[in-house]
Amino acid sequence: MAISLSLGRQGVLFGLRLSQFNKCSWPSQPCQDRVRSFFQTPWMLGVSPLKVQMPALSPTMEEGNIVKWLKKEGESVEAGDALCEIETDKAVVTLESNDDGVLAKILMEEGSRNVRLGTLIALMVEEGQDWKQVEIPAPDAASPAAAPSSSDAGAASTLTPAAPSPSPLPKPVTSGPLRLSPAARHILNTHGIDPKLATPTGPRGLITKEDALNLLKKSPSPKTAPVTITTAAPRPAPIPGVPPPPPGNRPNIPPVSVPGKPGAPGSFTEIPATNIRRVIAQRLTESKTTIPHAYASIDYQIKVSVNDFIIKAAAVTLREMPEVNVTWSGDGPHLLDSIHISVAVATDRGLITPIIRDAANKGVQEISATAKVLAQKARDGKLLPEEYQGGSFSISNLGMFGITGFSAVINPPQACILAVGTSRTELRLNEDDQMLCKQQLMRVTLSSDGRLVDDELASRFLDKFRANLEQPQRMALA
Amino acid sequence: MLTNISNVLRACAQRNGAAAVVSARTYSDFTTQATFEIKKCDVFKLDEAPATQVVMTRDEGLQYYRTMQTMRRMELKADQLYKQKIIRGFCHLYDGQEACAVGIEASITLKDHLITAYRAHGYTLTRGGTVKEIMAELTGRRSGIAKGKGGSMHMYCKNFYGGNGIVGAQVPLGAGVALACKYKDTDELCVCLYGDGAANQGQIFETYNMAALWKLPVIFICENNRYGMGTSVERAAASTDYFKRGEFIPGLRVDGMDILCVREATRFAADHCRSGKGPILMELQTYRYHGHSMSDPGVSYRTREEIQEVRSKSDPISLLKDRLLSNNMASVEELKEIDVEVRKEIEDAAQFATTDPEPPLEELCNHVFSNNPPVEVRGTNPWAKLKGSVPNITVV
Repeated sequence: MAISLSLGRQGVLFGLRLSQFNKCSWPSQPCQDRVRSFFQTPWMLGVSPLKVQMPALSPTMEEGNIVKWLKKEGESVEAGDALCEIETDKAVVTLESNDDGVLAKILMEEGSRNVRLGTLIALMVEEGQDWKQVEIPAPDAASPAAAPSSSDAGAASTLTPAAPSPSPLPKPVTSGPLRLSPAARHILNTHGIDPKLATPTGPRGLITKEDALNLLKKSPSPKTAPVTITTAAPRPAPIPGVPPPPPGNRPNIPPVSVPGKPGAPGSFTEIPATNIRRVIAQRLTESKTTIPHAYASIDYQIKVSVNDFIIKAAAVTLREMPEVNVTWSGDGPHLLDSIHISVAVATDRGLITPIIRDAANKGVQEISATAKVLAQKARDGKLLPEEYQGGSFSISNLGMFGITGFSAVINPPQACILAVGTSRTELRLNEDDQMLCKQQLMRVTLSSDGRLVDDELASRFLDKFRANLEQPQRMALA
Repeated sequence: MLTNISNVLRACAQRNGAAAVVSARTYSDFTTQATFEIKKCDVFKLDEAPATQVVMTRDEGLQYYRTMQTMRRMELKADQLYKQKIIRGFCHLYDGQEACAVGIEASITLKDHLITAYRAHGYTLTRGGTVKEIMAELTGRRSGIAKGKGGSMHMYCKNFYGGNGIVGAQVPLGAGVALACKYKDTDELCVCLYGDGAANQGQIFETYNMAALWKLPVIFICENNRYGMGTSVERAAASTDYFKRGEFIPGLRVDGMDILCVREATRFAADHCRSGKGPILMELQTYRYHGHSMSDPGVSYRTREEIQEVRSKSDPISLLKDRLLSNNMASVEELKEIDVEVRKEIEDAAQFATTDPEPPLEELCNHVFSNNPPVEVRGTNPWAKLKGSVPNITVV
């Protein structure tokens, strides 16, 4: 009804728009004053808009977040142009416009969260019309359009299970043993319902799970299912609650499991995400969903266990294998000539990766000093853009938290990230004297972009890396 | 309030009356027909080609414009409704390819037959379906053209055999329809459409063989929109000259974005068939703006720039509009008026399609068999029997 109301208004608007052009040419009439005031009301002067509603960009989407508007108010839009980016339940998808026109008003700003399907998010006008004069429809005109459709879907689905129950002819169970399927038996036992009351529809008189469920539905709350299915009138969805006592002497046993209410008010506190976290979240999602990650792990014996040695070892290995020192440039690998390693630092604001430039040519002590300085700057929030943008390879070390091994998410457009675990002691059988001896092991996992560094390349990289770490003297010679 | 409106409308009417007189004078200033130069079609195994100088009258032009605009807005409305989850399931949109449907229909009659694949909304419209019926079918309501039981891919009307979901399967069926025409010795032919992806199907080559052997009156039309789902033609076909694939069947390559090209080529092909020379193959080079279906965003295998380029340079409705305006066959206001009327028609149809009730459960088994009712129809397992009370409509 709301839809027809707004259409009707648009119809009247269109008819009367013709008379707006030249008010002075009207014949003088006694009611001219009334008419003039009628015409000067805001909703008559407005331009009827083309509505942009929140679309379902994936079949399971019910609501979305508006990430970014790609057009500004007043900017002209052609059919096929991207209007805004919408974050669905699965990914960030671009919304395209189907019409030519001018974007007149953005109703849901960037960062609007949980915008329901069908809500008005923007208004457009046709080209040549004054976009500033666009009339903004009342907010409740749009939402009932979504509400009836969802309650209709609910009503239609609740009616269809009710409808088949009158149609299959109930065969009375006269004699013979009662035949129950195991699922039906369980359901009827749990709810304490007499199986003789069920109408068997299975082969040879079997009471199936559906029959048990139907019986369950019929006995606690008898539904008066109307025969006519009218989708026009919104019907309130059946409220799940405590069933009333059934007629007869059947015991009113409530269902055994009550659906939990996660997120009920008072049971949690919401911490709004800072911008950094939001960006990190968005970038991580983008990385994990768009880059084909490939993983490879290796254990190596620790002779010296310092993070800076790891950085040095990674840099040296990259120098030996320049095919791994690449970034993704949109269509293919982009070989880099220098080796800059990003090191992950945890701050209260989030994880940030300052870069150690030209790590292969620096000594271990120099790397150590640089890493300390950068980590302190990161914690203070004083990193300059060139200190955290760029980089060809990332290293993330969670060893101090006792993590044995983990796999990290790649920072696009880099190709790899090395996840370093903690050092652990393990027993090893010594081949020469058949005695058990201790060894220090550490697990590193390399996440690589499958488009640039495939499994074979990753394995060779890890092999060289292990060789470099287990015999650090090799690095001095390189 | 009502008196205000009535006074305003009276004032409007007076003004509009004057306006009508003014515009009636200018209508006679329009050229009633003009000759246009169109692109020459590449031919294969043919001595002649379709004409390059064609005549179009003002009425024809306006009718093509209206039909193409209706098709375009209907598809865009279907896109909108799908995104509001009012249409579910499959939905393959035809916008960008309107010139093909309207051009073909312009050269055949409603007595001829047509069969196509799943991108069929446009053809349902040109073959006699109304926008209301088509949209109600998309939303699955009882006033749909297939009683709400078919959906997007199963729309039918007289001499239009759908609406076929299996890729390429409609081509042998089309040859069968042509065989019926030849057998009954009517002057009818069958237009059988398929896409660039289906063109590599084996059953199509089998059909070519039988059609050529028995000289069936069938026009095979390959709608080449450059992408079979997400695969471009260069990556899919060893030979992208789809009009030559018939080998022993003569072929034509036509610019599918120019309605006059399509109309002229179809006229040529229809004459070829009706004169008893057997089948002929036509490749229409066209483009679709949307993705393959509603679950395909359409930009992962092609760039937005490519779509925008085709939209700006070869949009079929814009091409026709430019032709009409530059030859003084219509005015901008007239075309705008047609746009507004079309928009209103589509809005009404969408409104109707959203509020119409769904088909009742009793209709489930109707129109399945052609036997006299009541008919027993098998349910989901051999022991489940459902009753069908209405037979299928036998189409003669």
